Amino acid sequence: MRSWLPAVALGGLLALLALGAVLAFGSGAQPSASERTDALARELRCPDCQGLSVADSPTRSAQEIRRQIDELVAGGARDADVRSHFVARYGQWILLAPSSPAYWLIPFVVVAAAAAGLVAWLARRQPPVADAVALSDEQRRCLHEEVEALDA
Amino acid sequence: MIPTIGHASVVVGLALTVYAVVAFVLAARGADPRLVTSGRRAVIGSFAAAGVGCVAMTISLLAHDFSVLYVAENNASTTPPFISAISLWAALEGSILFWALLATGWAALVLWRHRDRHPALMPWVGATLASVNVFFFAVMVWPGNPFLRTAPMGTEGLGPNALLQNHPFMALHPPLLYLGYTGLAVPFAFGIAALITRRLDEEWLRIVRRWTLIPWIFLTLGIVAGAWWSYEVLGWGGYWAWDPVENAALLPWLTATAFIHSSMVAERRGGLRIWSVALVIATFVLTLVGTFLTRSGVVASVHSFTQSAIGPWFLAAILIALAGALTLLVWRLPQLIGGGRPSGTVSRESAFLFNNVLFLGLTFAILFGTLLPLLVGATSGDTISVGAPWFNTVTAPIFIALLFLMGVGPALPWGTASWATVRERFTIPLLAAVLVTAAALALGLRNAGSVGTLGLAIFVGGVMVDEVRRGALARARSRDEDPATAFWRLTTRNRRRYGGYTVHLGVLVMAVAVAVSSGLAIDRTVTVEPGETARIGAYEITHQRLVVEPLADDARVIETRAEITYAGPQSGSLGTALRDYPNSPTAIATPAVRTSLAEDLYVTLLASDPETGAVTLHVFVNPLVVWIWIGGAIVGIGSAFAIWPERRARPVTLEQPQAVGAPSTEGA
Amino acid sequence: MRRLRWLLVPILVVPLGWLLFTGFGRDPREVASPLIGQPAPSWSFSTLAGNLLSTDDLAGRPYVVNFWASWCGPCVDEHPILTGTHETFGDELTMVGVLYQDAATDAEAFLARYGDSGYAHVLDPDGRLAIDYGVTGPPETFFVDADGIIRAKQFGPLTDAIMAERLAVIGLDG
Repeated sequence: MRSWLPAVALGGLLALLALGAVLAFGSGAQPSASERTDALARELRCPDCQGLSVADSPTRSAQEIRRQIDELVAGGARDADVRSHFVARYGQWILLAPSSPAYWLIPFVVVAAAAAGLVAWLARRQPPVADAVALSDEQRRCLHEEVEALDA
Repeated sequence: MIPTIGHASVVVGLALTVYAVVAFVLAARGADPRLVTSGRRAVIGSFAAAGVGCVAMTISLLAHDFSVLYVAENNASTTPPFISAISLWAALEGSILFWALLATGWAALVLWRHRDRHPALMPWVGATLASVNVFFFAVMVWPGNPFLRTAPMGTEGLGPNALLQNHPFMALHPPLLYLGYTGLAVPFAFGIAALITRRLDEEWLRIVRRWTLIPWIFLTLGIVAGAWWSYEVLGWGGYWAWDPVENAALLPWLTATAFIHSSMVAERRGGLRIWSVALVIATFVLTLVGTFLTRSGVVASVHSFTQSAIGPWFLAAILIALAGALTLLVWRLPQLIGGGRPSGTVSRESAFLFNNVLFLGLTFAILFGTLLPLLVGATSGDTISVGAPWFNTVTAPIFIALLFLMGVGPALPWGTASWATVRERFTIPLLAAVLVTAAALALGLRNAGSVGTLGLAIFVGGVMVDEVRRGALARARSRDEDPATAFWRLTTRNRRRYGGYTVHLGVLVMAVAVAVSSGLAIDRTVTVEPGETARIGAYEITHQRLVVEPLADDARVIETRAEITYAGPQSGSLGTALRDYPNSPTAIATPAVRTSLAEDLYVTLLASDPETGAVTLHVFVNPLVVWIWIGGAIVGIGSAFAIWPERRARPVTLEQPQAVGAPSTEGA
Repeated sequence: MRRLRWLLVPILVVPLGWLLFTGFGRDPREVASPLIGQPAPSWSFSTLAGNLLSTDDLAGRPYVVNFWASWCGPCVDEHPILTGTHETFGDELTMVGVLYQDAATDAEAFLARYGDSGYAHVLDPDGRLAIDYGVTGPPETFFVDADGIIRAKQFGPLTDAIMAERLAVIGLDG
């Protein structure tokens, strides 16, 4: 294949990743009130369901909590204030994801450590480098042609 | 009369299973080899006993025999026959009876199939499987008797759980799931047998390959069926909530999938002995943990059966199984170390091993998230939640890495891969992925999850297509066949590999479908009067009228139904309802789903006003959801293809030839 | 060093066993309340009888707030204990019932059937009061002392023993 193709492909990938990062984090626009209420409703747990968020739940208590979120946001409360309003009543349980960062990091740390451990283990067990087999020019040419034919 | 027969058969089953354990252990230790046959017959007998028990319970349910407590709690005189029949597995005691049926069935099948083979291993396999079954029969004889009588007997029953009555998948999901769970005891039993007899080379892996894949297929289909069922029934528009019991079903699936992959390395290159045994032990223990979480009342879940005395028994079983298996493992550790040809850091072996790291990482993360509330509650007394936002954030990167590896792994050679090979195999697919992703972004698609997964899928799919193309062309060239025949013969004669590719294709389809359906779904909550129209996406929904009437099948249930017509990419009418069951305080939603290949229109009734006929609806347009189920089916078909027996080479007898000629045999 | 590998077994088994064992005996749906030791929420709602009741009317005496519903099974079991407490301690303590996601007619039917000892039942149509108390489902009962501080909470139905214990915490005995 053309020797520059891999470079182009990799370049394209990096460009896309950069573009993705810009799109995801670069937009400095503040989220709208309804986006904030939706996001908060997805973070809060419905009190009389089994693990659903207030956004997904049809129960009356979920509806009331959504109403209260709307009121609080419209009244100028920040996201943290809305969360603490409900945590004051229900405790940390009302948040669908634990607030302590340690709980979020532990799985990543474990997987990263395991992956690093695997790399180390593989590196220690490198296969012996085979003695170069001496090929005659004729054999080398035949081999080359066969491989070319397969890849065509 | 019938319940008495049922109870007696359970007791007989326990006796037979205990006998089987004793017989197998004695036979394994060198006593009369006929004990093996005797033990096998006892296991088959225990299967028959469990069968009689299930039949007895099913008859009692169909006959609405309220003298049996289980029937009184899960059945009513108005319950339709289909629902009565499948109530066998609707609640705690009955589900254990059903479990015992399947577990003894697998044991009987394995022992019968290998009755003339592997004489060193089979007695220990039998003893292990029978010991597991002793536990389940013992639970039914003591704390969890399904045939317990009511005294005095009532004239009416409570009826089945409302959520379990309104969808045919109640008939599919538990049986598929249980077939998976119970079947995964078989690889465990072989692993234990290999440890005890010290036959720790690759033989037990070869034997166990099909006995792992078949339950794995059932478990996969069972989990997908569970997601589909909850999507169609629960009304919140989603299919996976990271509920503790959903997670518990996923955990053994993850370790079993890891084992399926790592055993390929172990079989071909040797080594990984400790790892292979540890994985089958973990898989089996996780199936017990899963059933424990559902039945002990230790975590709250949509699935929880009532809290009961069964919990401590399950906990004891888990700890005994884990401690016993680990002790064996540690005891045989010297024989497990070593072996195996080393391989390069970039090679097919290492791809498989990274795959295992990721699968076990997922297992750890999901187990951690599920048990964390329990841990925090036990140590500090605080109550915290670990729900969907945490699980989605933590597992998404691991799933993406797995998807990437799924594409890259099969394209790497065994041994060591040179950078030339890497460049050659991955450049075109990468380029294709970059182009498609750029095109999607240019067309306005902005949802990061959908775009990213699409790009990754093109890359993975491209690598897979290239692999198949390369193989078919090589064969066509070397055997002088046309490409189509070459492709056909290649796939059917390498079912393991091409079945695996098909499974990966199915996973790819599911991944894209999951990313797009969660990233691009839209929903609205609207209140409409009769005759009023609401708009969502490309659809127009018109509320026609509100109907309140009892169900045709079961007059105790009152249904409040909104009749709706809709127009757009799909057009027609639907009825979405709330049902009032006498034994449930809140009404149960029966959402209406209209499925097309492009998207689902999903309507849930939230509230209604009987005076005005107005209804409040939660309407969703969920793109590509049906492809999740189709992808699951592809996974099932691919794995069935992978284990389908290939035509064996038939020996051909030849006359001593006069002239030199090449004999040919058909088949690989 | 070779002996140490045997430690692997208890290291893996004991913590798992302990963790799963601690779950027994605790109701997994019970949520630890952050309101214990905090001032009780102040509110003002109408009652079944049609009057207006507010926390100002309750100030100065210990009071008990019981969330219940006519469709709630365990509420039937604890009802005699609530009515009994009102009859015994009516002059030292105020009992207040709060209807949780229920209709007034159904609540009245419940009281007619199981006995109405005469204490006020407050209507909470939007569920705002339930949220202020952090209620996840009936029955839940809160015990407030004479200074207006919540001293105890019962998740699930009351029994005579539990009621006596909780009442002692807010200053009543016998």
